[in-house]
Amino acid sequence: MLSQYIISQVVNGLCQGFIYALIALGFAVIVGIVGLATFTHGEIIMIGAYASYYIFLACGHNLILGLLASFSASWIVGIIIYKLCYERFLEAPEHISLICTIGFSMLLKNLAQIVFGAEKKPMLNVIENQIYKFGPVEISKVQFVIMGTVIVLSTTMMIIFNKTKWGIALRSVSQNREAAALVGINVKQTSMIGNCIGCAMAGVAGMLIGIYYQSISPTMGATLSMKAFSAATLGGLTSVPLSSLGGVVLGLIENLGISISTASFRDVFSFGFLIIMLIFKPTGFVKRKGARP
Amino acid sequence: MLKVENLVVNYGYISALRGISFEVKEGEIITLIGANGAGKTTTLVSVSNLIKKESGKVIFKSQDITQTPPHKIVKMGMCHVPEGRKIFPELTVYENMISGTFGNPALSKEKINQLIEKQFTLFPRLKERRNQAGGTLSGGEQQMLAIARGLMMDPDIIMLDEPSLGLAPIIVEEIFELILRIRENGKTILLIEQNASMSLSIADRGYVLENGVVTLTGTGKELLVNEEVKKAYLGA
Ligand SMILES: Nc1ncnc2c1ncn2[C@@H]1O[C@H](COP(=O)(O)OP(=O)(O)O)[C@@H](O)[C@H]1O
Ligand SMILES: [Mg+2]
Repeated sequence: MLSQYIISQVVNGLCQGFIYALIALGFAVIVGIVGLATFTHGEIIMIGAYASYYIFLACGHNLILGLLASFSASWIVGIIIYKLCYERFLEAPEHISLICTIGFSMLLKNLAQIVFGAEKKPMLNVIENQIYKFGPVEISKVQFVIMGTVIVLSTTMMIIFNKTKWGIALRSVSQNREAAALVGINVKQTSMIGNCIGCAMAGVAGMLIGIYYQSISPTMGATLSMKAFSAATLGGLTSVPLSSLGGVVLGLIENLGISISTASFRDVFSFGFLIIMLIFKPTGFVKRKGARP
Repeated sequence: MLKVENLVVNYGYISALRGISFEVKEGEIITLIGANGAGKTTTLVSVSNLIKKESGKVIFKSQDITQTPPHKIVKMGMCHVPEGRKIFPELTVYENMISGTFGNPALSKEKINQLIEKQFTLFPRLKERRNQAGGTLSGGEQQMLAIARGLMMDPDIIMLDEPSLGLAPIIVEEIFELILRIRENGKTILLIEQNASMSLSIADRGYVLENGVVTLTGTGKELLVNEEVKKAYLGA
């Protein structure tokens, strides 16, 4: 049943890709609005995963509570990162804040090993095992919930960005900080909110990853953040829709790749994609809406 | 309405402003003229507190705003249309205009709609292009958008930094006519220009800036016929 196998790999790839997409779009929001890159994204994913883990332990299988926990925990860490790594360095050369985020990521990773323990923790079975069949396509309930969550979150975010005054403020800051200040926007506060939105997306993705793999660990974020970075290169690091597309493409490439090789090659395919992007199209495929030819 | 006293600003070792004072009274059009590099832009950005001042004082509506953060100054009713327009290129014309209303949280929805209509009558070309990305407009249209964005906050004073920069003469004339109409609508105007003849001809009073100091001041008419001004700025 080769075709059956391919179909199920496509479904797996899509599901994984949706999670990557959520991480990558969070990354793109941060880079776009704060204007500085982050190396703490992976640890935010981990914080989000642990937040939901403890909520599930304490309150049982309540997905909504878990989601709120990972969302708010990573939002709060987003505030801390902004205050520590960005706010005072907005005018400084970019590498200063970049190094700061690297340092903070190490701190978080090691603190997590002390506080949560260095070993992997098994995530509870929050969603019961159930398979839905659509013709030849089989989707598990877990995959369904994951994709649904990503779609709802990213659509909500897109609506906020494109249809509300809040969104206009966020996009103004990402396009010209000085002009944003001159129309009365509190640029520092707005950048912080942008940073927190991006972190919250990664935090929720952390919960989804935990549920999908049924295991979490303090170091789970490292490769994931690199994958988000790979996905975001598709949109020149700042385009939200293209980063999401990049995430989905990455998930598909990985899962189709391992179906013709072995599962241990998973990362070869995603980082191969990154290398190809960086060699041939380092600026991504983004077409600036406001650019005059 | 706006009073600047002894403003001193340095960029590292370069001193850009060496003690500038001027005053803008309600309802006036005041112009600061000066050659490239005289310190005109620096004066405006330090009034808006976008850069650090060495010393000096800025008083706006009898309040000391020397150390007030830029977004709070805006909310007090001061609008600064920056050099080089600086519209938001990826926001539509309409969104750019809405962004101006952040500067005035007191505006009601109705008032915002009224203001939009008002700007569209003042700048009919923006109405035609309301859903176009700001960055796709021509230079003159971008300048109009920058001014319209500023007027959307319904400010008491509007400070314009070289609105004629890089525009064709016919567009420049249009912009200056608009500035007069904006004053008729009850706004106070601080106009910064290299184009001395145009700006002096519409200004009540003017200040001449050279190397970071005010060297001359007088009414627009006085300065227009002043020999030194004529020689240095009017090409006579
Ligand atoms: N960011 C900056 N760094 C260093 N020097 C600057 C900077 N901006 C302006 N200057 C210098 O300050 C002086 C005044 O500049 P500016 O205010 O832009 O003049 P104007 O607007 O009248 O053309 C000039 O000598 C200019 O070279
Ligand atoms: Mg200038």
